[in-house]
This record gives sequence, structure tokens and C-alpha cells, in this order.
Amino acid sequence: MTTEPRIPDDTQQRSNEPAPERWVRTPPIDIFETEQGLVLRADLPGVPADGLELQVQDNRLTLLGRVASPVPDNAELIHAEYHSGDFFRSFILSDDVDHERISAKLTNGVLEVLLPRIPRSLPRRISIQTQ
Amino acid sequence: MPVFRWGNPLEALPDLEREMDRWLKSVEVAFEGLRLGRPFPALNVFVVEDAYLITAELPGCEVSNLDIEVADGALTLRGNRSPQKDVPADRFRRSERMSGDWERSVTLPERIDEQGIQAELTNGLLRVRFPKLPATAPRQIKLNESPSSPV
Repeated sequence: MTTEPRIPDDTQQRSNEPAPERWVRTPPIDIFETEQGLVLRADLPGVPADGLELQVQDNRLTLLGRVASPVPDNAELIHAEYHSGDFFRSFILSDDVDHERISAKLTNGVLEVLLPRIPRSLPRRISIQTQ
Repeated sequence: MPVFRWGNPLEALPDLEREMDRWLKSVEVAFEGLRLGRPFPALNVFVVEDAYLITAELPGCEVSNLDIEVADGALTLRGNRSPQKDVPADRFRRSERMSGDWERSVTLPERIDEQGIQAELTNGLLRVRFPKLPATAPRQIKLNESPSSPV
């Protein structure tokens, strides 16, 4: 019998870490299943590799992406359709995610996190000794 | 307790119809999310001393699937986002990221140097720079005296 891996619970907590004057956004994500486990993709436009902090603590996966401003400081905003700002989101991982093997890559502003399942242990035969 | 139902044997049809409607609506939302609602991509426009800057967030966009065009005083951005094409739909647990074709046109300010426009795409963030044309000295326009005005 197979048990469904739990969907990582998304708590969407706001981080206390970034300075309060910075705008913090919740990035949109996709989560899908593969043979090996779960894959999470998040849109983090403008986040360079060194601006990304990905942390697993206990059962919580936290992502924080810091956006480097694409314009010089003296640029004056004359028309705004979106808020630029850092990205933050956290997830509760299910127990069958192998925390040690979590890996991630960031390509063109899209983060991909691989959450492999803990390999199911094979049935083990227990030998019975007769006395 | 009725063992079988009298009436229209096709009465299950409206149910089916409703089900189809619901399904189609969800498809529509998924597909048209980009077109309806807010224009995509959202743009911010900045001005610096010698140029205008436009920024847009295009996560997952590569230079090869982005078109930028300037014609008749308008800037057109065009692209395609299909970040999930490699994943069968039934594998998704959650799907919030948008996908599909998109196109957006904006009118440019008049006094810019169209030859000097530069665009760069870094980490899914597009930045287009439009240099302002240098200010020209005011030019006096000579009035011609008309020989006689028609009566």
C-alpha cells in the first residue's frame, strides 16, 4: 500500500528578517510530483544566486530572495504597475522528504527545489532461530 | 422510496452541462489569466537624467523567447511562458505560476533616441533603456509677411 506524500503546507508567513521598509512579496509557486519525489518551482525575478537564502530547519523550508534594484538609486519612478521587493515564503515539509538530499537551482529567476522522497525500505526477511 | 425515476430520461444532461461549464470556466481562468485582468507583464517606468528606464518581471524567460520591437513610436514586448510544458498536468499539486503567450505594447515618449535603445535580461528581470534626445536650442521661426490677405 502506498501512502500519499503530504502536500507541503504553505504557511505564507511574513519574515521578520528583512528591514521593515523593504517590500516583501509572496512568490507564486508550482509543486508537482515525479518518480523521485516533489519538485517546487518559484518565480523569483531579479534574484541573483547570491541573493537567495534557502533554509531547512526542522520541517520547515524557508526561501528568501533578495532583489537587487535594476535601476540606479537616483532613478525616479514615474509609472508603477508592480511593487519591486524581496520574496519570502515558507513551507512545511512532509515527513517522507529526505532533508539531506534536497537540492536547488536558480535559472533565469526561477527557483527549482528538488524534494526527494526517502527511499522506502525493502521488506527484510527476519530469520527465526529454532532452539 | 422510488426505485426508478419518472420523467425525462435525459435529465442527467443539465448536470453534465453544468459540469462542463464549470470545467470550461476553470480552463478559461487558467488560459486567460494572462490576458484578462492586469496586463502582463507589469511595467515600471523610471526616469534618470539622460534616459527613461522600463523594467518588467519575466521569470523563466530566456533571451531566445523574447521579442522586443520598436516601431511607430511604440515599444512591443512579446514572448511565451510555458515553464511547465515538461510536466503532465495530473502531476501538479499546486499551480500558481502563469503560462501562455503574451504581448504588450506601450507608447514611447516622443523625445527619445530610438537608435540608442538597449535591453538586457538578467535573472528574469527585463530592463530597457531609452536615451533621451539631447535638448535642442530654441529655434526662431521667421514669419513671412504675406503680400495681401484675402478679403
